[in-house]
Amino acid sequence: MKRRTFLQKVGYSAGVLGFSALPFAMAQIFYPKLKAQPHERIPLPGALADHSAFIEACIGCGLCGEVCPPRCVLFHQSDGSKAANTPYIDPAEKSCILCGYCMEACPTDALTVTPLREVNMGIAQIDRVACYPWVDRGICGACVSVCPLGDKAIDFEFGNFYRPVVNDGCVGCGQCVEVCPEPSLPIRIVDRAKGAVAKHAVETSKETRQLDY
Amino acid sequence: MNKVRWLVLSSVFAMLVLLPFLHLYQSYEAAHAYDLLLPNEKAISDSMEWLTSPFIKDPEKDLNQLKGTTWSGTLFGYKMSDPLAVVGQIAASGSVYWPFLLTALIPILLSIVFGRFYCGWICPATLIYELNDNLATWLRKVGLPIGRRKLDKRVKYLVLLVGIVLAGLTGTVTFAAMYPPAIIGREIYYVIALNGFGAGMIFFLLTILFDLMVAQRGFCRYICPGGAVYSLLGRFRLLRIKRDVSQCNDCAKCNVVCQFGLDPLRDNFSQECNNCTACIAVCPTDALSFTVNVKDIDYQGSGHLGHQYRRQQEQNSEKELA
Repeated sequence: MKRRTFLQKVGYSAGVLGFSALPFAMAQIFYPKLKAQPHERIPLPGALADHSAFIEACIGCGLCGEVCPPRCVLFHQSDGSKAANTPYIDPAEKSCILCGYCMEACPTDALTVTPLREVNMGIAQIDRVACYPWVDRGICGACVSVCPLGDKAIDFEFGNFYRPVVNDGCVGCGQCVEVCPEPSLPIRIVDRAKGAVAKHAVETSKETRQLDY
Repeated sequence: MNKVRWLVLSSVFAMLVLLPFLHLYQSYEAAHAYDLLLPNEKAISDSMEWLTSPFIKDPEKDLNQLKGTTWSGTLFGYKMSDPLAVVGQIAASGSVYWPFLLTALIPILLSIVFGRFYCGWICPATLIYELNDNLATWLRKVGLPIGRRKLDKRVKYLVLLVGIVLAGLTGTVTFAAMYPPAIIGREIYYVIALNGFGAGMIFFLLTILFDLMVAQRGFCRYICPGGAVYSLLGRFRLLRIKRDVSQCNDCAKCNVVCQFGLDPLRDNFSQECNNCTACIAVCPTDALSFTVNVKDIDYQGSGHLGHQYRRQQEQNSEKELA
């Protein structure tokens, strides 16, 4: 093969590739966030409120993971961060059942034995634009029926049977997140402070939400 | 005695492997989901049921009596932690949490009496390191270059100090990432129950290579911060190995067999001795035995059954005759 024809072929194929990549580039420009935001890693029940204090107290023994019946406790990998080998829960993967074994097993004060309703892992926040019953696109109520704490934590809206509303009793165990069937991920566990702001306001939730669908 | 030690070491290791399986069985039982399990999960559940059914009635709760690793665990209801974990946690958080300190009380008391016994009798890394050392001697016989360098024993105290300072500065328990028993317990659990492994596994493999290529049992002797803690605790230990001069024949097998590079032949055990009884087992004349003493005795001279001592005796008698 001559050098000229080779160069011509290379240029031609580069042009074809570039042209075919154009739709992807345009999609990136016009629809930059197509994936729903991944869920945050939430702390274990009874964990110290301050995350850095929790990391200081945790010795990384893994006992909480060993006693956990549903095996929801996962561990940060040693990725160079301070949190290496410390536990967390990903409620979308597997959620906490609030059995309290991990609090009893923990040898340090990283997890302290806390009464069931005083556990603070966060608070569930429902994105009312993404939740199907809230936009009248279906009937569901899975989150309300699975909640172990009853109507003090999550309940239907007054006079309505399918629109869920989070109450102050929510401890953030994340069972609603695990059970939620909707791909738009309308419910997630957030910090208590953040959740209180966005709880009742659809506008705020529109601003904070990161998903496009 | 040395065989008993091997039995203890391997049973501790076997327990660390068994515990994740027991935990899996426990979570299957708690979920009441036997019919939904995959075939391999069913095999785990069945075998664990066969193992545990003679001893316990309610697997969902009774199995919580036995949890954890040698880093921190529950042994038949008693919580125990490594003293190094306590040191690291106090350094990281800057405060003392009393219940956690109490969990380390039994190990601390035991190592004040028995010295660095944890390193020789319990530590799950020791099993692997000793097998690795046997491999090293074998490779040496084959003709491969095996490192037998000697470093300064005080390096491990420096590592301990630096670890404490780093823990205080960064606010993390730094020892958890570099202490082989903690790593092994955790990684075995990760591999079996969570299907994956962390960076600790790679670190542990590096320490094995270090032992093989740089120094014999190099990590335990020169680097391990836990070994440093136990050495300090066992400085005035009660139970020591003592050489009986009248029985010793200067064969120096004890010096060869001691993987920590100590010098039993010259009564030099120091705080590094982990009472592993390897020298007692190898001694052909039963000259070495345990005694209760707070300090090592000074060098007693060459053994009475050895050539050197007998030659001296003959010379002395000749002098007396002359």
